[in-house]
Amino acid sequence: MRISEFIARTITQRSRLVWASLALLTGACLAILITSLRLDSEIFNVLPGRFSSVQGLKIYDREFEQTHELTFALLCTPQDVDKLENFAPVFAEKLRKQPWCTRVLAGSPMATPDGIRDLQSIAVPLLLNLEPSVFDETISILQAHKIQDRLHRLRQQIEGASPRSEFELSIDPLGLIAPALKPFAENTAIEQEQPLTSPDGTMRVFLAVTNQPAVSAFECQRLMRRVNEFRSTAVAGWDGGRLQVLITGRAAFVSEISLSMRYDIVATLLGSILLVSCIFFVGFQRWLPLVGMAICLLLSCLVALTLGQLLFGRLSMISVGFCAILVGLGVDFAIHLIGRYHQARSDGESHQQAIGTSIAKLGRAVFFGALTTAVGFAALVLSGAMSFSQLGVLIAIGIFIAGLFMCSILFLFIRERETPMSHDWISDLVRKYVRRAVRRPAAILICSSAVLLLLTGIGFSPIPPLRFEASTRSLQPKNIRANQALEEIMHKMPVRWEPVLAIVHAANSQELHDAWQKLAAHWKELQTARKIKSFFTPVALCPSPNWMQRNRGNLSAINFQAARQALAQTLDAEGFNPDAFGPAFALLDDLQRVADPRVPLPNWREQLSKSSSWWFLVDRYFAQDPLLTTGFVTTNQPVSTHAQSQALKRDLPVEGVPVILSGWTYTLADLLPWSHRQLLIISALMAIFDVSLLAILYRDLRLWLIQIVTLAIGIGAMIASMKLLHINLNLLNVLSFRLVLAIGVDYGIYIVLVWQKTRDVEHDVAGVIKPVLLAGLTAVSGFASLALARNPSLTGLGIACALGIFWSLVATVFFTLPAIAAAEPKAWRENKCASR
Amino acid sequence: MKILIRKILLIVAGLICLTSFAKSAQLSDSEVKNLLVRIRENRITQADFQEQRVIHLMKKPVASSGKVWFQPPNKFRREVEGNSPSLTVSDGRQLWIYYPNFKSAERYPLGKRSPLDSTVAAINSALNLENIENTFQITAAKVDGGYELTLIPRTASMKRIFQKLDLHINDNLQAERTEMLLPNGDRIVTTYSNQTRAPVPPSTFEFSPPPGAEVAAPLGQ
Repeated sequence: MRISEFIARTITQRSRLVWASLALLTGACLAILITSLRLDSEIFNVLPGRFSSVQGLKIYDREFEQTHELTFALLCTPQDVDKLENFAPVFAEKLRKQPWCTRVLAGSPMATPDGIRDLQSIAVPLLLNLEPSVFDETISILQAHKIQDRLHRLRQQIEGASPRSEFELSIDPLGLIAPALKPFAENTAIEQEQPLTSPDGTMRVFLAVTNQPAVSAFECQRLMRRVNEFRSTAVAGWDGGRLQVLITGRAAFVSEISLSMRYDIVATLLGSILLVSCIFFVGFQRWLPLVGMAICLLLSCLVALTLGQLLFGRLSMISVGFCAILVGLGVDFAIHLIGRYHQARSDGESHQQAIGTSIAKLGRAVFFGALTTAVGFAALVLSGAMSFSQLGVLIAIGIFIAGLFMCSILFLFIRERETPMSHDWISDLVRKYVRRAVRRPAAILICSSAVLLLLTGIGFSPIPPLRFEASTRSLQPKNIRANQALEEIMHKMPVRWEPVLAIVHAANSQELHDAWQKLAAHWKELQTARKIKSFFTPVALCPSPNWMQRNRGNLSAINFQAARQALAQTLDAEGFNPDAFGPAFALLDDLQRVADPRVPLPNWREQLSKSSSWWFLVDRYFAQDPLLTTGFVTTNQPVSTHAQSQALKRDLPVEGVPVILSGWTYTLADLLPWSHRQLLIISALMAIFDVSLLAILYRDLRLWLIQIVTLAIGIGAMIASMKLLHINLNLLNVLSFRLVLAIGVDYGIYIVLVWQKTRDVEHDVAGVIKPVLLAGLTAVSGFASLALARNPSLTGLGIACALGIFWSLVATVFFTLPAIAAAEPKAWRENKCASR
Repeated sequence: MKILIRKILLIVAGLICLTSFAKSAQLSDSEVKNLLVRIRENRITQADFQEQRVIHLMKKPVASSGKVWFQPPNKFRREVEGNSPSLTVSDGRQLWIYYPNFKSAERYPLGKRSPLDSTVAAINSALNLENIENTFQITAAKVDGGYELTLIPRTASMKRIFQKLDLHINDNLQAERTEMLLPNGDRIVTTYSNQTRAPVPPSTFEFSPPPGAEVAAPLGQ
């Protein structure tokens, strides 16, 4: 018994058993998914993990405090600038009081007494951590005559109304704190490059660290609900014109994106169902097979998802998007099989026979269609990016299962006693067209070739260019509040280009300190040679146990009693108020205490107040693990080319110091060859596989060439449309080429295989063109419905696929058919019976 | 840093008195406006001054004296004489402080997002007397021999520089005395004499450090 007959008999005679098996399969899949499904929302998984720059991005995103940071901005009208200045501290205070808020940065810490006091509190450990020669020079200032000279000079300058001298005496009466803080202060310059007030004063920015326990989508949603409650009441007390409260940050993005996904799923699903249903009904005038098709597709998705989960253990959120692609591909199978079934019934076959005929005639085409598609998407494994690998494997699994289900359980939803279609105007139209295309193919071929070749020429010509946005930011939803806030802030604030991150993870404090010492010295040379613009490192805050021990030894040689006495006498002699110099005496006491080798070395982390605004600066450099750090290198120009990233990769590292270079712009520049190569190589591999398979399948050079040309002009016309409609490629919609290629191959297989065997062109070819047309239109409308999504990646994918499938359909119907009719002519009715 | 800025602004803000206003047995709002208009019409351009600074760092007040010149909207020159002389010059783009005894100069940029900008801008508007009603809360009273004005900054940045500025304006609508109270409790009392309205040559507001002078830029740039 043939397989088609076995399936037909099982479906028609043992339908209960099939239903029970389906229920069991569904239950098992659901049970597995409910108990073990883990979704990975890591956006960086769309990038290839083997690149160290990508690893660096993941580390920075995961380990550093900025994942818990929210940026608030108040934006007022130009008339209310003064009011905003007064309201800013009120807003900051309200923000600080929020239970979800740990710390707030509302201005430079140097501008507040607390900020200066905090710096003074960490002076001793930073002093001990100075380079030994600098330390020796610094503490020499504690000699009695130097104390006298310095205070005398400062007193004279104060009389001359020197603000600088008064400042110096206020915060550093002994002259020890400034040298101790100098290395640290150099790093605060990065704050000056990122001011918290816009130049026109209409925007004030506040940075807040939240106590969000985790960074999952649900935690982000929970946090943002509370933040939005705060937003609604935060402007109470404002008496000016319109005041906008803008909020952005990782949590805001994750929350809104995850919520918009819900909308996207509902909107695109409903849109897709509506459009596909309408076309299906127009084509077949029946609803039940449509339900069956939907159930088969859902089951295919469910089984593929389950197998994917078992295979990978954790599925990327992006890979879950395979459902949309699977539906687009699976619909083809269903429509062809249903179309062929109805044709068989029209020919007088019984229900069971018609099922067997449909499977027998199209099973091969479905199998090869599934195979080409599966291999094409499985090639994504070569991309090296976990998300794309999973996506490819899921589609490969899903498309085979969809083919299997369509060739079997789909027929459970077709009633045995169905009334024939009253008036099939589509079939009539198709029959007329096929008749004309077969009898006089030249005219159609010339017209279609002219249009398609013109578009292909535009598509493959360098002008106009097709832009490829390799940045994952191109996948970022642009119409969500968090993004609008970010754009508004970037528009208002004078921002420079993003620095390159240099991540160093050491085994211990000394190793970390030595690593940054070497890097800082090397980068200083690069800066002098104008190879980089500037750099900032955590070196001042990386304690060196060796230096601290050595410096402590030298400190014990200081006569603190004499220094104390000289200070007191000089203050009195110069007319200073001794009460204002309490911190100077306290500093001497502290130094004397740490000079004792039995006292543990001081640690600035323990001495800096937990609520200090300086932690915002510290957290830029240090991860939760204090031995994991990052430095920043600002380049002379924004990093935009691969050559720049290579030059940085060559210049920045120091031998013997393991450093990971990263940062968004750096990584994207680093990945440029990959992103172009993965597009070209994988697409080329898929194309080679497809054309080889077609050659084996057709075993006819002319038909094979016609099919190849059809695929080429379909893709060419698609690219031309994207160029003319200004649709850019991005990391997700670049997949549409594989999809279009796969679907184009499917359409060709259906027509060419039928053409090769047919004896009755009217019956067979017209019979297959109608399902191809319906399948194409449903796929186009299904993908076009993705345009309803808020997520630009989905919209872009949907539009690109819709365009590509549309042109593949046009090329198949108006080029392939007349071309094969011209190449291998057949009589309109050769032998009707033979073909059946 | 904040203290440094504050000190610079003390010098600048002290100049407000040269052109400013008065206080008394409570003038109404309209009377204050009229008074300001009259003062604006009689702006002085130079004066001698004597200053006493009560600084928490020093046991006794620090006294100094000298001359000031002013040209709207934002140029001024201030020369401190005596044993510890100094020279402060602003041309609107940068502010110089020069100490002849030490042959050292400090340069502070204005504009280009300098930390001084917001407060200098506020003070310049006070020096112009334009929109001063928006920058300060003003109470004024008529007293014997003139007017007493009290200016309290409206904006947070100005409040960080000084808490209150009292001015005595004489009957000729010229500033005679100012008293500035700082957030840390320091107090600066300045008295002015020999006020004139004679034109001031532009070169008065130009400064180049003498050869060999050590130049520092505490705020960078």
